[in-house]
Amino acid sequence: MEERIKIEYDALVIGAGIAGGEAALNLANTGYKVLLVEKDHSLGGKMILLSKVFPTLDCAACITTPKVSEIARHKNITIFTESEVTHVSKRGQNNFTAEITKKPRYVHVADCTACQLCEKACPVNVTDEYQYGLIGRKAAFIPFSIANPKAAVIDIENCTLCGACERVCPTHCIDFTMETELYELKMKTVILATGFRLFDPLEIPRYGYGQYKNVITSMQMEREIAPTRPYNTILRPGDGKVPDKIAYVLCTGSRDNTVGNPICSQICCMYSIKQAQLLMGALPMADVTIYYINIRSFGKGFEEFYQQAKGMGVNFIKGKIGKITEKENGNLILRYEDISSGVVSEAEHDMVVLSVGVQSNPAVSNIFDAGSLKLDFHRFVAQKDLMGSPSKTSIDGVFVAGTASGPMDIPDSILSAGSASSEAISYLSQPQQQ
Amino acid sequence: MKERIGVYVCHCGGNISDYVDVEKVCRAVENEDGVVLARTTLFACSDSNQNEMINDIKEHNLDGVIVASCSPKLHLATFRNVTERGELNKYTYVHANIREQASWAHSDDKTGATEKAIHLVKAAIAKSRYAEPLYPYWFEAEKTIAVIGGGIAGMKATASLADKNSNVVLIEKESRLGGHTAEWGSLAMTDEKGYELTERIAGDIRNRENIFILTGAEVISTKGSIGNFEIRIRKKPQKEGDPSEIMVMKIGSIVVATGYDHYSPKDGEYGFGNSDWVITLPEFKKLVDSSTGKILEYKGMRISNVVYIYCVGSRQANGGNSYCSRYCCTSAIHTAIEAKKKFNGIVNIHLNRGIRTYGKQELLYAESLQMGDLYLQFNEESLPKIFVKKQKMVIAVKDILSAGKELEVEADLVVLVTGMVPRSDRSVGSMLKLPKGRDGFYNEVHMKLRPVETVIDGVTIAGTCQGPKNISESVNSALSAATKSYSLISKGTLETEPIIAKIDQENCSWCSKCLNACPFDAISKEAVHNREVAIVNASVCKGCGMCTPVCPVDAIDLTGYSSKEMMSMIDVLV
Amino acid sequence: MNGALKKSAKILVFSTEKISDPAIDMAGLLKLHYPPTVYTLTVPCSGGIKPAWIMYAYEKGFDGVFIAADGSDCIFGESCTEKTGNIVSMTHEQMKEKELDPARLRMAAICSVCSEAFVKQIRSFNDYLLKTRNA
Repeated sequence: MEERIKIEYDALVIGAGIAGGEAALNLANTGYKVLLVEKDHSLGGKMILLSKVFPTLDCAACITTPKVSEIARHKNITIFTESEVTHVSKRGQNNFTAEITKKPRYVHVADCTACQLCEKACPVNVTDEYQYGLIGRKAAFIPFSIANPKAAVIDIENCTLCGACERVCPTHCIDFTMETELYELKMKTVILATGFRLFDPLEIPRYGYGQYKNVITSMQMEREIAPTRPYNTILRPGDGKVPDKIAYVLCTGSRDNTVGNPICSQICCMYSIKQAQLLMGALPMADVTIYYINIRSFGKGFEEFYQQAKGMGVNFIKGKIGKITEKENGNLILRYEDISSGVVSEAEHDMVVLSVGVQSNPAVSNIFDAGSLKLDFHRFVAQKDLMGSPSKTSIDGVFVAGTASGPMDIPDSILSAGSASSEAISYLSQPQQQ
Repeated sequence: MKERIGVYVCHCGGNISDYVDVEKVCRAVENEDGVVLARTTLFACSDSNQNEMINDIKEHNLDGVIVASCSPKLHLATFRNVTERGELNKYTYVHANIREQASWAHSDDKTGATEKAIHLVKAAIAKSRYAEPLYPYWFEAEKTIAVIGGGIAGMKATASLADKNSNVVLIEKESRLGGHTAEWGSLAMTDEKGYELTERIAGDIRNRENIFILTGAEVISTKGSIGNFEIRIRKKPQKEGDPSEIMVMKIGSIVVATGYDHYSPKDGEYGFGNSDWVITLPEFKKLVDSSTGKILEYKGMRISNVVYIYCVGSRQANGGNSYCSRYCCTSAIHTAIEAKKKFNGIVNIHLNRGIRTYGKQELLYAESLQMGDLYLQFNEESLPKIFVKKQKMVIAVKDILSAGKELEVEADLVVLVTGMVPRSDRSVGSMLKLPKGRDGFYNEVHMKLRPVETVIDGVTIAGTCQGPKNISESVNSALSAATKSYSLISKGTLETEPIIAKIDQENCSWCSKCLNACPFDAISKEAVHNREVAIVNASVCKGCGMCTPVCPVDAIDLTGYSSKEMMSMIDVLV
Repeated sequence: MNGALKKSAKILVFSTEKISDPAIDMAGLLKLHYPPTVYTLTVPCSGGIKPAWIMYAYEKGFDGVFIAADGSDCIFGESCTEKTGNIVSMTHEQMKEKELDPARLRMAAICSVCSEAFVKQIRSFNDYLLKTRNA
């Protein structure tokens, strides 16, 4: 099984979300050979799963799918999905070696037509991580309808090896003999675009997430309003009722020392305002209230977007949520300090959305030789020269793009990726030292 | 004439299909002459649909392709590319905009939106029938790139282009490089001073073979387009009285990095101009940086109470600047902390409209709170009022953090936290015809798809001329713009759109009207079979079509916009 | 005739690819509604619209034609404003000959973010056309 294949690339881009994808495209369009490694089954990161994006309300898929498609067919880009970079070592200038583990998908992508017969045949039901647990999926499944590559995957952890999928597959592309492949590849520069993790609200038990079914995360709401949504309408998971009094709890896991994250996540105000606008459109009778500390609509067109939401009738209450309790009918009581009146108040909502924040993905530092990739105080990739060259890391020739270095919205991630790819091209253009 | 047209009607995941009955649109056009295939798709731009289109082109032997989806500004290029991959000439592709100009514009009238979409698709079919294969021209591009503006963004763009072995001309109006950043002392989030940072970057670009720096120089005119711009530059004389020097340069692509102006408060705005002790944030930053000693003095007075009024010139509800200037909260708080650390007895009182220290900058806000800075918050409906009471400046504020209580605070110095406004000097923008956004800053084509490009091919925008940004964000934008400008022309050859004027020489009886109408001198007279007729120089024609309406015998058409195409579209739109 | 058509006039808009059409797109993005019987044909520059096309539109049944001109923002140069103006005068001549109300042709410079101005113009044009049509 130890088969090591040696190929040389100009650049390794780790992470195929919007930042990694953009960086890879910039490099590839300039003529460099790029290896793009993604641990998930599809390109597109978190953005491809979003509904619409602020402040223009373009559908996220309309931006990501053509980009992802361009990446997928680019002659200068090699893509590894379900793969992890386990180690990168720097041998010298323009000289890196990366070890990559490619896990088996148990499906030959080139032969799969995404006909979904295997999905229908598979008897195993598990939670669908791409729908953030709102519904289930099979163990043989297509990740989501606009996934790229759009091909089936066998979730071997949950698979019972019953063979039902293999029997119905018309192209015989399911192959249980596939094995983990190990690669050792050479490249001249590395871009880290490993993104962020969403805050897990189980860490704040007083909000009742996981306990009260009608308390969901903003990412779950994002799925409920996305075009490829699970229910085809907006409903609360507890009883399937269409909600008409929805609350947003901003700064869930951000600006909060009690969960060890004192910084602001930079995106939650805006995505919550966006969701509120979309909800007002989809459920004209619904009441949407946003509980906030400060509204941070700082980007181009953002303040105007915030004012537009106010104009549409979204309620904004300056107040921090103390505790959420559940009533028998599944409604929720929010206890909060109302800053404008200075008193503690209570409000009843039939659905609560926790606007969860951005957390770092510190595992990326483990792939480098001990301590060579510095992280900052919040365990994001440290920016060596924040003002002069924001994408430079502590290792010369390794650059950071997007939210791997800190919270960022999509436009900023794209500019950050532009910056990282620019630095990488400059690095590749340096005269080679002996 | 196309006889095998394929039509794809996009749901856009609901953006279209929520208001336009896409199935009905499909049924309404599937029997149109020449249409052999019409289908709906969830996302026309998705990889799977693109592949399906390519298969269809081959399998159904299509000779024309139409996608009815979003604005062509987003995905015309995407679908032309698909057509090309299907081995059809990409100019046979026709786009119908049924999102921005149907489903969204008429979301209040689903029947009307659907009817309109049907008409728009039929018009696209009409155009498609006549759409001819066109072949672009190739021409050699100038490889020198001009960067206009020598602030942090312009300098970084210059350095990055030079690193990629491009020739760069950096044009700065002032006599020194560094822009606003060079005026800053201490910066937030770094130990480096503003002028140290700009000096370091300036050091990266000085004395490099492929960088030509012009300070005290202004662009006075531009002509041409991507690949061969010609810019005229006036360089101020070294000595007064000397004539200014005019230079003409051939340029392939232009990075505009002309920056911003500080908002300058109006006379009397929060007492500005009436009292010497009401100053702006940039003035206060200079004061804090340049003052030595243990106490802060200003105009002979000792300063203890500093009152900061936020959002001056930003987030204005009525007229004015409705946008947030993004950098000012962090900058004001950082400077307040600096002042407190540096001088004895400083009391900072921040009258704000909600602090926006986003991201890691939040730690500065936390630090300032910990140091005992006082934060009072007001609404746009009740702005703080400043007056003099017992020879002291007093600011009255209705504080929403204490249930709207009217409070009065005394100030030795009032700092107006002023935001960023677009440059009042818009000469570069007007010369290059760069469109402005609603906030008055230059507008990108698309915030996410093409964030540093403008509608003018070959001209990118970097830094704060596109909108408020802090230094780090400006640099990211500058490096993105530099890479884009570089990749546009680095291959050395460029493709032009083959949309040009075509003269029907049979009918032309040379009258020179088209010659006079052409803004590019692309038309000349030529003798063909002993007759004088007009000819178009394809490499000079820009395809504006200005020559077409003036022809007295209607002998000129613009390719892609011929009378037969336009009229056949009008036929079905009615 | 369906319900929508009774309420609104049929207007053909000539927009320009880089200046006025983006504004019309943004009107859609901002959901600034205007009558759905307003159809846009896009050309590179408003200085390239042939009077014959406008006359053809009236002949075919359009109530009005609106030129969303580049104005001074035209990317092809300053002469656009004058040339578009000339096209309007030439067309007015032809309209007079056919005894068409010259007010059925309108022109306004629409910048790339002038969405509100566009919608305002279109609504007032629509009102005018409906009033004169029913008079």
